[in-house]
Amino acid sequence: MKPPEVSIAVTDLSLRFPVYGVDAKSLKKNLARVTVGGRLGSSNTGATEVTALSNISFSLRPGDRLGLIGHNGSGKTTLLRALSGAYEPDEGQIEVRGRIAALLDLSLGIDPSATGVDNIRLRGRIAGMSTKEIEDKMDEIATFSGLGPFLAMPMKTYSAGMQARLAFAVATAVEADVLLMDEWISVGDSEFKQLAHRRLLNLVERAGILVLASHDTELLRLYCNKVMRMEGGIASEVKDIRRIDELLAAA
Amino acid sequence: MESAQHMLRTGRRGTLFEFSMALRDLITSWHRRGLAWSLAWHDVVSRYRGSILGPFWITISMGLMVLGIGLLYARLFGISVAEFMPYVAMGIVFFGLMSGTINEGCDTFVHAANMLSQTALPMFTFVWRTVLRNLINLAHHAVIIISVIVIFGLWRVADPLLALGGLLLTVLNLSWISLLVGIASARFRDIPQFVMSVMQFAIFMTPVFWKPDAFPDRHAFLTLNPFYHMLTTIRAPLLGEQADGLSYIVLAIAAVLGWALTFSVFAVTRRRIVHYL
Ligand SMILES: Nc1ncnc2c1ncn2[C@@H]1O[C@H](COP(=O)(O)OP(=O)(O)OP(=O)(O)O)[C@@H](O)[C@H]1O
Ligand SMILES: [Mg+2]
Repeated sequence: MKPPEVSIAVTDLSLRFPVYGVDAKSLKKNLARVTVGGRLGSSNTGATEVTALSNISFSLRPGDRLGLIGHNGSGKTTLLRALSGAYEPDEGQIEVRGRIAALLDLSLGIDPSATGVDNIRLRGRIAGMSTKEIEDKMDEIATFSGLGPFLAMPMKTYSAGMQARLAFAVATAVEADVLLMDEWISVGDSEFKQLAHRRLLNLVERAGILVLASHDTELLRLYCNKVMRMEGGIASEVKDIRRIDELLAAA
Repeated sequence: MESAQHMLRTGRRGTLFEFSMALRDLITSWHRRGLAWSLAWHDVVSRYRGSILGPFWITISMGLMVLGIGLLYARLFGISVAEFMPYVAMGIVFFGLMSGTINEGCDTFVHAANMLSQTALPMFTFVWRTVLRNLINLAHHAVIIISVIVIFGLWRVADPLLALGGLLLTVLNLSWISLLVGIASARFRDIPQFVMSVMQFAIFMTPVFWKPDAFPDRHAFLTLNPFYHMLTTIRAPLLGEQADGLSYIVLAIAAVLGWALTFSVFAVTRRRIVHYL
C-alpha cells in the first residue's frame, strides 16, 4: 500500500484557554491596550478565557516549510501544540496526514536521575518507536551526541550543553513526515551547532512538511520557504518567504 | 479513522462524538500498551535508583508491620498467631494496592502535564501507568504473601485462582476510581488531600487489622464499604475460606456502574483536562 500523501489542513480553527480561578473583570482595567498576548474575555458561562487562536485556516503540502512569526503571545506555540494533537480545537478542524514529530520542548520525558541510555530509550518510547527501533538507532544517537562513556552516567551529572546534546540527538532521531518545531533549538558549542544544523537540514529534507516558530528572521529565511504571521491569535495568509519583509512591515 | 498516519481533531460535535473520541483514546492506549508499561516500569526503577533493595524497602517495612501487628494483636485479641498473622499480612499488602492506586491516581494527569500538552498520546496511557506501577509494587510485596502461605501451611487450603479472580475485580474497580480522582484532582487541587484523608480513614474502617467477627454477617458497616468487598474477595480464598457471594456481585456491579460513570465524565471533560493542568 502506498503511504498516504503528507498534508496539513486547518479550517476555521479557534482555540480558547479557560483560565480557572481568575476573574477577568479585575484584570481588564490593566489591559486597555496591549500588544502581546491573545484576547482576554469571558465565556458565556462567565469563566475567564484567553482566545489564543481565532478562525485560522491554511493548508500545507509536501515540501512546504512554513515559518511562523509574531509577537510574544501571538499564538505560535499554541498553534504548534494544536497541530501536534495535544490541544483540541474549540471550533473548526485540524487534519494532519503523516507521522508527526513535535520538537517543542527538548526536555520532554527526560528524567535527570536516569542515565543517558535510559533517557534515550524512554524518549524513544514516548515518540512511538518500538524497543527494537530504539536499539537499532542507539549507536547512531550515541555517536551523534558525542557523549561516549557519559551515556552510562545519570543525566544530572551532565553540563547544560551536554544535556541539550543528548536531548537534541534523541528528539531528532525520529522518522517523521511532519516536523513541528518551536523556536530554534540552538544548543551546544559552535562545533555542535554545525552538526545540529546539518542534522536538522537532513531531517527537514526527509520530512514532508516543517512548521517552525521563531523570532529570528535570518533563521526562517534559511530553513523555510513560506511564512505566516500571527497576531493576537489571528493568522495572516501564507506567503512566500521572500515576502517576509512585507509581513514584518505590516506590524 | 485515526492512526499514527492520520490525525483529525475537531471542535465539539455533540455528545455522541465526544464519547467516540473518548473510546478512541481508550483503544489507542491499548495499541500502545507497551508505552504505559515502559513508563510504569521506569517510575518504579527511577524512584529507587541508587538504592540497593529498591521497592523491597517498602516490602520490608510492610513485613515489619505485619510481624509487629500480627504478634501484638494476636495477643490482644486472643487469637492464635498462625491464624492472625497471614490475615494481617494479606490485609496490609492488598490494602496497600488499593490506597496506592487511588492516592497516586490523583497525580496521574498532573504529573503528565508536560507530555499531555505537546503530544497526541492517549490520556488512558497515563491511567494504566498508575495502575501498572502499583501492580509492579504488589509483585514485590508478594514475597510477604508467599512467605505466610508457606510458613503457615496455607498452600494446602488456598485457592489462588479464585483469589486472582478477586484481584481482577478489585483492579477493575480501582482503575475507574483512580481515573475519576485523577480528573477531579486536575481540576480541583483540594482533591488529593481529601482522597488521602479518606484512604487513611478507610484503612481503619476496613477489616485490615481486625476481624469482622464482632459484626453479624452482612452488617451494613461492612457491606457498605467497597474496600471490604475488594479485600475479602482476594484474601478469603488465600486463607482457604470462602468470600460471601454478595461481595462478588457488589464488585461486579460497582465495576460496571463505576466505569459507566467515569467514562462519561472522561468523555465530557477529555478536551479540557489538559487545560486544567
Ligand atoms: N496554558 C495556557 N493557559 C492559558 N493561557 C495560555 C496558555 N498557553 C498560552 N496561553 C495564552 O495564549 C496566547 C498565545 O500563547 P502562545 O504561547 O501560543 O504564544 P507564542 O506566540 O508562542 O509566544 P512566544 O513568542 O512568547 O513564544 C497568550 O495570550 C497566552 O497568554
Ligand atoms: Mg512560544
